[in-house]
Amino acid sequence: MHAFDYAAASTVRGALDLAGPGSAFLAGGTTLVDLMKLDVLTPDRVIDVNALPLKGIRLHDGALRIGALERMSDVAAHPVVRSVHPVISKALLLSASGQVRNMASIGGNLMQRTRCDYFRDVTSACNKRRPGSGCPALTGVNRNHAVLGTSDSCVATHASDVAVAFVALDAQVVLRSKDGDRVAPLEEFYRLPGSTPDRENVLGPGELIAEVVVPVLPWARHSTYLKIRDRQSYEFALTSVAAAVDVKRGVVQDVRLAAGGVAAKPWRLRAVEEALKGGVAIERTFAEAAESAVDGARPLAHNAFKTALLKRTIVRALLDAAGAR
Amino acid sequence: MTLTPAELTSAVSGGIGTSPQRPDGNLKVRGEFAYASDLWHEDMIWGATLRSPHPYARITSVDITEALKVPGVYAVLTADDVPGRNLYGLEHKDQPVLAVDVVRYQGEPIALVGADHPETALRAMKKIVVTYEVLEPVVDMETAVDDTPLHPGGNLVRHVPIRRGSQDVTAEVVVTGRYEVGMQDQAFLGPESGLAVPASDGSVDLYIATQWLHVDRDQIAAALGLPQEQVRLTLSGVGGAFGGREDLSMQVHACLLALHTGKPVKMVYNREESFYGHVHRHPAVLYYEHGADHTGKLVYVRTRMYLDGGAYASSTPAVVANAATLGVGPYEVDNVTVDAYGVYTNNPPCGAMRGFGAVQAGFAYESQMDKLAEALGMSPVDVRVRNAMTEGSVMPTGQVVDSAAPVAQLLKLVQDKPLPAGTSSDIRELPGGVSNTTHGEGVVRRVGYAVGIKNICFSEGYDDYSTARVRVSMVNGSLSAAVHTAACEVGQGLVTIMQQIVRTELGIERVTVLPMDTTIGNGGSTSASRQTYVTGGAVKAACALVRDKLAGRTDIGDEVIDETTEWRHRATEAIDPVTGQGNAHVQYGFAAHRAVVDVDVDLGLVRVVALDCAQDVGKALNPQAVVGQIQGGSAQGLGLAVMEEIQTSGGKVRNPSFTDYLIPTVLDMPPMSIDVLELADPHAPYGIRGVGEPPTISSTPAIVAAIRAATGLALTRVPVRPEHLTGT
Repeated sequence: MHAFDYAAASTVRGALDLAGPGSAFLAGGTTLVDLMKLDVLTPDRVIDVNALPLKGIRLHDGALRIGALERMSDVAAHPVVRSVHPVISKALLLSASGQVRNMASIGGNLMQRTRCDYFRDVTSACNKRRPGSGCPALTGVNRNHAVLGTSDSCVATHASDVAVAFVALDAQVVLRSKDGDRVAPLEEFYRLPGSTPDRENVLGPGELIAEVVVPVLPWARHSTYLKIRDRQSYEFALTSVAAAVDVKRGVVQDVRLAAGGVAAKPWRLRAVEEALKGGVAIERTFAEAAESAVDGARPLAHNAFKTALLKRTIVRALLDAAGAR
Repeated sequence: MTLTPAELTSAVSGGIGTSPQRPDGNLKVRGEFAYASDLWHEDMIWGATLRSPHPYARITSVDITEALKVPGVYAVLTADDVPGRNLYGLEHKDQPVLAVDVVRYQGEPIALVGADHPETALRAMKKIVVTYEVLEPVVDMETAVDDTPLHPGGNLVRHVPIRRGSQDVTAEVVVTGRYEVGMQDQAFLGPESGLAVPASDGSVDLYIATQWLHVDRDQIAAALGLPQEQVRLTLSGVGGAFGGREDLSMQVHACLLALHTGKPVKMVYNREESFYGHVHRHPAVLYYEHGADHTGKLVYVRTRMYLDGGAYASSTPAVVANAATLGVGPYEVDNVTVDAYGVYTNNPPCGAMRGFGAVQAGFAYESQMDKLAEALGMSPVDVRVRNAMTEGSVMPTGQVVDSAAPVAQLLKLVQDKPLPAGTSSDIRELPGGVSNTTHGEGVVRRVGYAVGIKNICFSEGYDDYSTARVRVSMVNGSLSAAVHTAACEVGQGLVTIMQQIVRTELGIERVTVLPMDTTIGNGGSTSASRQTYVTGGAVKAACALVRDKLAGRTDIGDEVIDETTEWRHRATEAIDPVTGQGNAHVQYGFAAHRAVVDVDVDLGLVRVVALDCAQDVGKALNPQAVVGQIQGGSAQGLGLAVMEEIQTSGGKVRNPSFTDYLIPTVLDMPPMSIDVLELADPHAPYGIRGVGEPPTISSTPAIVAAIRAATGLALTRVPVRPEHLTGT
């Protein structure tokens, strides 16, 4: 492991003062420490932010507000989360392991890095880790990689489950820096890889995620998260879908949909949403609408199956969320 | 008066046939068991290994200058520092302790660092400068023999032909197939670790998690250039093995560093390094042709199979022989043609893993039997029973099976078990489980059968024996026994079995098992399902000697009765190198599975609902341990069926972690109904038949057969993954 200084901050201001080039914020450490051991991340300074007052889960001003340092387990178990936005709780509970969920923070979850093996293997080229070095996943083992939002520079998948639920629900993140707070929709917080896959989000240097704000959507209490994976637990998604549907008299009034496991970032499925609105809430409608989910998909040698699997995952998630099964 | 063992058994509890609590069980569950990775010595230093990032490259230079300058570094060693023979291996001495001029697989050790802290060692390691000329790796097992030779003798490790009966007979019904088995990992939880402690006389003690102390010792001594008695090994806590600890990993390295620095040296691999640090199950490509008459009776089986041994031979020759000699399965076939090839490539080295050649062949021949059943319009069970081997059947090698071979009975036992209730409404029992993918829609349930055969103990004329010492003395007024062997307890329960045997043989309840080490004679390998058979036999034999001296006494005063003996199973023969004929094996074990599988045919998800098993174990010395072995072996077979594979690309491992290399969790494994037959083998101690491997063989094909039935897909490769089922 690369040698580093450790500093703990007790105030946001203190943490931001300590931050600088080559520094990294440490919350649960489930991504950072793992990647430091592999030499993928080599910060010169690690700033422990666990004591910062970025906690609390509450309903305020028409939104569910979750402090960035809340642990995945605590958010998943929170009664307000479970009743207002069950999809958040479900997505969290299908993530990682109990041990990881007890450690990992919500802010850290949103900042987690891809599981792409070439990114994790420092003896390999990777445009995300070493810009300009190339992307061996394009021609190598790419079964777990993305089919949507990719570029010739990077085909890595965004690994978070809960971010998919957040993006479906139009969540925003509050970003805090010395200049004050700014708010960004989570969907726009993430950048597509393009030619700069090393730049994964819009976070500026010395800027922290302080809070996640999820607007309350009354009908989103009928929401679900569905995850296709290679074994029953402890595994990333091949495909996943977060879905909330408002069905009245058998007709889809409104819908929120996002997909995971298939894209360079949590992937909002707006075209599918549009196709669903006003439709009869039956399987055939869902299947027809799901067709547009993979528009623009760029399958690779080993992951072409994800396009059809995504469409079927959408259908199942809609059936579940609409209470049609 | 000397009591017979039967009379003695009634006198004490915890003898054979009972299931006394194993001494390591509670400790392991509580996390308190001391594994080799917990070894500690007050003034020890830490070793680290520099490994090749390339599967195939010429080393043009190694510069250790900067690494030596790192404060806290005691030594940096390369091949030049290996004082003895810089080649080792179980069957062929072809693997360097540290690479010279060339590396043949990703992860091959090149240099060692000893330092005051593991982190110091790693930092110094990064300062070693190795320059490579990267070469094009050989990765295709089917063409490897004609590719760039990786070793002086070329890329063929062993070709095992078997020719029995007519080679050109024809049949009414013919089915052919090409099958592939992916590279499975033993996935033991305790990584490679050990502690080497140098002595002032130039000798060394090694505390180590291994499967075979004596063969480790012999290889270490040769590499160190020391007489064998100057290398002493003691078994440390082993966190699983499954074949992956038969070969050396860090043994020589730690001893080299210890002797070079004069300090105790601890080495512990991390999980990624562990994937490079041990051999895996040979991936295989197998071509089969089965011919049968219209009644389903097999007329002939012809097969050509390739097993990828990777960069070094390890146990490839024996794996290939198993795949070949067991290549038609537990069936009577008069006309057999087998050509099995084990080859070198630049893929990760492969060697021993539970099932050892029989697993790869088993997936293929059982897939063929299902195909044959379909072609004949017969049921999968009927076609198997029609051809089932029995006692007295002749193997393709000409060997007569001379003890129980209840193949048809095992199949019928699993066939007659009640089927589980219909598709569950509990999502945990459905494909996808808690991932909430179905409430029953898209789910198709089907059943699959398979039966397998495995040789027990070492084969082909190997002088396989074990050594046991039993000592009896008075402790606190009553007789107490101590048993000492060099046979490795790797978690299978040998310690308990030895205690049970001593209790039964001597009627002494208090039995201490001494540390397993090389101060006593060879115990043989903990592999080939052989320890209860061979070391159990040795302990039983030593007890007989003690019993004679004890002469029925319950008080022997200050006398100490101390007997050591070697025990051998009956001899085997080499097979003919042209015809493959010969009495190659000691004993055969059989198990059958019925898998009931729910498949979500839309999403490609599989839930094994039931995986019931029947196995003949000759005699269940410890019934609970027998069931545990059958459950564990079946779970490992389930893993190979639907998820476990080391993925390689250009010879490089792409998933060296337990996050990316998936093994079944408890949620993936169904409860099992298990029938244990006890048809005694008159040649074996207590009539036992090795238990550990057979269930690993039939589990995989039974599950895949059920998935095939549910999907109508051919599924010729394991593991089967969602994308193979979704038709996309």
